[in-house]
Amino acid sequence: MASFKKTQIRSLPKIGQKVTADTLYWRKLNFPVTVKEFGPIDYIDVMPIEPYFIAVSSAAKVQIYNPITHQVHRHFTRFKEAAYGASIRSDGKLVIAGCDEGHVKLFDIGSKSLLRIFKGHKGPVHRCKFTTDNVHVVSFSDDKSVALWDLPSETEIIKFSEHSDYVRAGCVSSISSDLFLSGSFDHTVKLYDARSPTGSTISVDHGSPVESVLMYPSNSIFVSVGGTELRVWDMLAGGRLLARVSQHHKTITCLHLASDGKRLVTGGLDRHAKIYDVQSYQVVHTLDFPSPVLSLGITPDDFTVVAGMANGLISMQHRQTQAEARALNPKQSLKVQKKSQTAYRFRLNADFRSVNRTFNPATDVEVATKTDTNFVSRYDMFLRKFQYSKALDTVLTPYIRKKKPAITVGVMHELIRRNGLKSALAGRDDSSLSSILTFLARNINDPSHANIIIQVANTLLEIYESSSLTPQSEKLFLQLQEHVNREVEYVKHLMEIEGMLHILLASTTTQARRSSTYVVQGSSVKPMLPSAAAAANATMIFNVG
Amino acid sequence: MVKMANKKTRGPDKTQANTSDIVVKKLDDATDIVRQPPVFTNDSKYICIASGRQIGIYSVESAEKVHSLEEHTFDVIGLAIKDDNILLSCDASGETIEWNINNGTTLKKAPLVVAGIKEFHSFHYPGNGKVLVATPSTYTTNMSSLWIVDSHTRPRKLFADIKSTPHSIAFGCNQGNGSLVVVALQDHSVVVKDITNGVDKKHMTDQRKFTCVALHSEKLIMATGDISGRILIWHDFVHKSRPVKTVYHWHTLPVNSVCFSSEGEYLYSGGSEKVMVKWRLGMSRKQFLPRMGSSIKYIVNAPDNICVATSHSDNAIRFIDSTNKINRAIIGLVKHDPIRGFADTEPIKESVMPTGLVFDPRSHGIFFNAQAGFLQLFDPQKNSLIFNMDVANRNVLTDERNLVIGNAEVLRVAVSPTGEWLATLEVWSNMSAGYHDMNLKFWRYDAVQANYELNTDVTMPHQDRVTALCFQPGLLGTEMPCLVSIGRDLKFKIWRLVDDTDIYRQKESWSCDVAGDFRKLTPSALSFSEDGSLMAIAFQDTVTLWDPTSINLNTTLSHTLVQEPIELMEFGRDNCFRYLVCASKSALYAWDVISQGLVWKVGQLHSSVRCLVPDPKSCYMAAVLQNSEVFVFSPSSSKPVHSVPKMNSSEPIAALFVPRPNPLASGPEWLINSRLLIVDDQQEFLCVDDVSSAGFNQKLTTPISHMDSLPWTPFSAMKAEKQISAAKQLVPVVHQTSGIQGYKSVQSLLETSASALPPMSRICSLFMSDLMIKHGPKAVTAKVNSVDRTSTDLPLSNGHIDSKTQDFSEETTLQKLLTLDCQWLVETVK
Repeated sequence: MASFKKTQIRSLPKIGQKVTADTLYWRKLNFPVTVKEFGPIDYIDVMPIEPYFIAVSSAAKVQIYNPITHQVHRHFTRFKEAAYGASIRSDGKLVIAGCDEGHVKLFDIGSKSLLRIFKGHKGPVHRCKFTTDNVHVVSFSDDKSVALWDLPSETEIIKFSEHSDYVRAGCVSSISSDLFLSGSFDHTVKLYDARSPTGSTISVDHGSPVESVLMYPSNSIFVSVGGTELRVWDMLAGGRLLARVSQHHKTITCLHLASDGKRLVTGGLDRHAKIYDVQSYQVVHTLDFPSPVLSLGITPDDFTVVAGMANGLISMQHRQTQAEARALNPKQSLKVQKKSQTAYRFRLNADFRSVNRTFNPATDVEVATKTDTNFVSRYDMFLRKFQYSKALDTVLTPYIRKKKPAITVGVMHELIRRNGLKSALAGRDDSSLSSILTFLARNINDPSHANIIIQVANTLLEIYESSSLTPQSEKLFLQLQEHVNREVEYVKHLMEIEGMLHILLASTTTQARRSSTYVVQGSSVKPMLPSAAAAANATMIFNVG
Repeated sequence: MVKMANKKTRGPDKTQANTSDIVVKKLDDATDIVRQPPVFTNDSKYICIASGRQIGIYSVESAEKVHSLEEHTFDVIGLAIKDDNILLSCDASGETIEWNINNGTTLKKAPLVVAGIKEFHSFHYPGNGKVLVATPSTYTTNMSSLWIVDSHTRPRKLFADIKSTPHSIAFGCNQGNGSLVVVALQDHSVVVKDITNGVDKKHMTDQRKFTCVALHSEKLIMATGDISGRILIWHDFVHKSRPVKTVYHWHTLPVNSVCFSSEGEYLYSGGSEKVMVKWRLGMSRKQFLPRMGSSIKYIVNAPDNICVATSHSDNAIRFIDSTNKINRAIIGLVKHDPIRGFADTEPIKESVMPTGLVFDPRSHGIFFNAQAGFLQLFDPQKNSLIFNMDVANRNVLTDERNLVIGNAEVLRVAVSPTGEWLATLEVWSNMSAGYHDMNLKFWRYDAVQANYELNTDVTMPHQDRVTALCFQPGLLGTEMPCLVSIGRDLKFKIWRLVDDTDIYRQKESWSCDVAGDFRKLTPSALSFSEDGSLMAIAFQDTVTLWDPTSINLNTTLSHTLVQEPIELMEFGRDNCFRYLVCASKSALYAWDVISQGLVWKVGQLHSSVRCLVPDPKSCYMAAVLQNSEVFVFSPSSSKPVHSVPKMNSSEPIAALFVPRPNPLASGPEWLINSRLLIVDDQQEFLCVDDVSSAGFNQKLTTPISHMDSLPWTPFSAMKAEKQISAAKQLVPVVHQTSGIQGYKSVQSLLETSASALPPMSRICSLFMSDLMIKHGPKAVTAKVNSVDRTSTDLPLSNGHIDSKTQDFSEETTLQKLLTLDCQWLVETVK
């Protein structure tokens, strides 16, 4: 026996932003907690180990925030002028910051004491980093130089002065303590090896002042941002350009890895942070901020996203926990809970019915295996029994009618196929007739369902043409008529507009043709045709009313 | 007399063609297994099924064929079990054969002798050497007379003018005295005869026509079904003139078959509702077995009540066990029920087999319609069904009593050149409601799962009926495949596979790339050149040639001589790639797409061309006319290389050249690599084939000689007789077209400055000769050969110059269309 085939419900994909796994993931960030600082937030660094303290450098101080309480944990104010690029060591014990005087200062987070001052740069130091071995420091300065310092002896080991403009970006390799990158306003990104003091090993041209650079954990690829472009370079191939992505419409200022190195986040002056897939460099999500973003920090577990902005705001967003979600939307969660309870009870019953008891002779134990219950919806059950009126009733309940009109239309379609629409529609009382009429009036404008709705409306008119109606149904019929009239009017307008466009297009093509006769060597201009969708729209004519 | 019988019944049908080597064979109709009711053996272990001239014995347990009995020369009309393991069969000529069921050997052959009658309708065997046979009625057509034949008495006529269907005759035993009771149906009455006691009765009810009758073999109760769906159970109908009747009415459509269980407790009935009803007699209880796939033709009960076999109109026999479940089925090639509700102006092909025959290069099978909404793949080599595929995936709806309810039907099928993609177009239209529903589905073959997966489903691809679907051939798999569809909404659409993959999913789907039209004319035919570089679409009498990649109109071809709308159009293959053969209502003609001239025309065909099929393995093409004449010709000339005269009264529906697995050793060129299959309106397959080649029913695998000479070992049984490598690559032919004539010389003339040109007198002849259309090198060498037979290896350029003057004269005549060669047609008419 061939099993009953379910009624095909044709639901068309919705046009608009697609809901992907990434959008759902990043949408779970809570409403931000904001802290106002005095100056623009120059740099944000996140401690790589728990409790993921956040070092924020702005104006003349460096503050260390607790990401959970949003309180300042420590602050270092021993700067004469602005402090820049505070960065925390990987063990979370030391912090280093550059400043306007050209010094690089090292602090102990626990005792707040200033441990070392690296002097030697002649210009402000905007970025400084600990190397992977934790005993060296790299500093990137506006005096166009990059210097490597020894931490214990407070001495300069090597200095590269290859850039011809301010060096405002830099990072160190996560594998080798000798490799570090610098990005400068002279449009170049240079890779240095401390073991070869002669100069940079790789130098690439970014094309615009470099704002930030980042090396992937694998150390084979590095990324630079500047201007409105993000460029990806292959380090192993000696600086081959792998990709150019331009998704921001203003300067990109900062760069961060997220989701365990699977996503790349860029923030820009256009007040957006874009999240990219690191393989395809496609944007998977966009975060919006109230002010131009200067710096970004994301904790390694993606729990907190911190953004520093040009107007001195620090926004800290936490990921929603389940308890929070429940607390935020108690009504919905209650419903879910209730539903799950009833589903459970129902499933128990279903289990009981559909268990195949097989006797296992080896162990003398009855083994119950559950077969897949293929759920038959109520309308299918009625269709199977040829009870067309009841099938139509089940899909005219307010929930299905309003939330899932595709199901109602699908059942109507099946009834048309079975030649049972007339009998399903006939002999209805006032209330059920009104629900059909409101459904028709609501959906007759929808082009994906229109042909079936029109068919149903015509049949309905045919049946109830000669019967006496209550004033209420009569009103609904008139409402339906009005809907149709409006739609016809609308289509007429659209066709007028299309006609105008045709004239415009035709004139441009003739002009193009004329010009092509003058220019003998010119390539032939392809006549512009309306798209297939437009052509399909043009032929859509409603023949109701 | 024999010949007459031959024509009327479905006997062996071999028509001699004008060439003695080529014959038209009816493809063995062994696949039609539901024409006669099957018969269970007494021990219920085997079931005997008559199929055409063959009888198959199948195991009930496994539904596998055990024996195939092939001795009859005419169609089998009845089967009966004589003793425990003896099967009695009778064919339409009256020859009866006794078979041993256990080993499939013939025991006895005897002709039936009934008053000189040579044609029989049905055959029943009540036992004791008595045989019931129905013969054509002497006065009324479509009616039968029933005779009883005994070994020692003269044949006796029992009834005249009874219905001739197999289930309008039933017999049983009167329990009291053991006499034989025979009942038969007339339109509005049941006639009853007790043979031994000589009792005659005729029972009438009302105006409802009877459709079937069954008699319980011992209890003497009778069940009749009628066209209103009512079943009557008659008690004591032999002696009483007004017997007691019980009414069982559930069916709304005519009852096709009724059957008692062997104890007489239950009654099974079935009809076009596709539901088998199991009635408990004497009680109001009944069980249903719904959605059996297709309407029930016969129901047969096994003697030990273990199962029931139902024959269905989709050529399947299903076994239902005692728990009312289908557990096995014997499935044959499915016949498509003609689609009802089409306008009369539509050709018959549209309702009988709308898809036609479509060759699948992957499996070397043929796609065509099965049941409504299904598509089947048939292997012509093995003559077996490969699979039956549900395209529509809808519940099959049955008619109501006064209402025809249509089902979704597969109307068009196209297979991509590699066989990876399958495009199906299904249509459902309700004529009364005026609602139209169309789906274009793209299926991809999944080699791992070994089935087709639905990739894209397009609703309403065209606003009106789609006339043709065609994949672009010649793509090597590196390009995205492309499908063209033309419809009566005056549009042609080009569908391409679009890669829509992003980081979340891998997705390829088909979408409409271009929709175009041409002067608001209806496109009627579509063809691609063999290498896929040129697409031709016929719009009424005009042929338009398009570049499939850029969709630019290259040229339009039309001529005042051919002004009828084109119905069929095909490009030539192989070395006739430049010819485009078109068929209109009364004419067949060919265009040369390179010179853009009409090459030849054959007008005033006395029957319209139904199919125009190119042979993929040679340059030949076959035109099948509506009156079942077949002409095989090369597109380059109008002379047919072979013609088959009218075969029989049936009308051809579709045709296809099927490649052979092994080329023929000898024979005409067009038959070496392939043979022609034709389907007629009864959906029977005819094959135009060489007489020397093995028939369809014989095994095609030729045993290797040294294998035969070697002694048999268990290991030799394991070794494959033949090893086939699937590594063969499909290499499409890419033609080097010569481009515009003399383009180069004109170009060089224009590029060289006037001062540097040699004198005009010197270059004139060279320049003119470059502008002339050259024949293909083959034609030229042939010409040279005919002139000078000794030098076969003439250099091409030499030959070219030799034949220049001849060519030129021929060119002009070709342009003016000289070859209006109708001579061959006149001959065939005679």
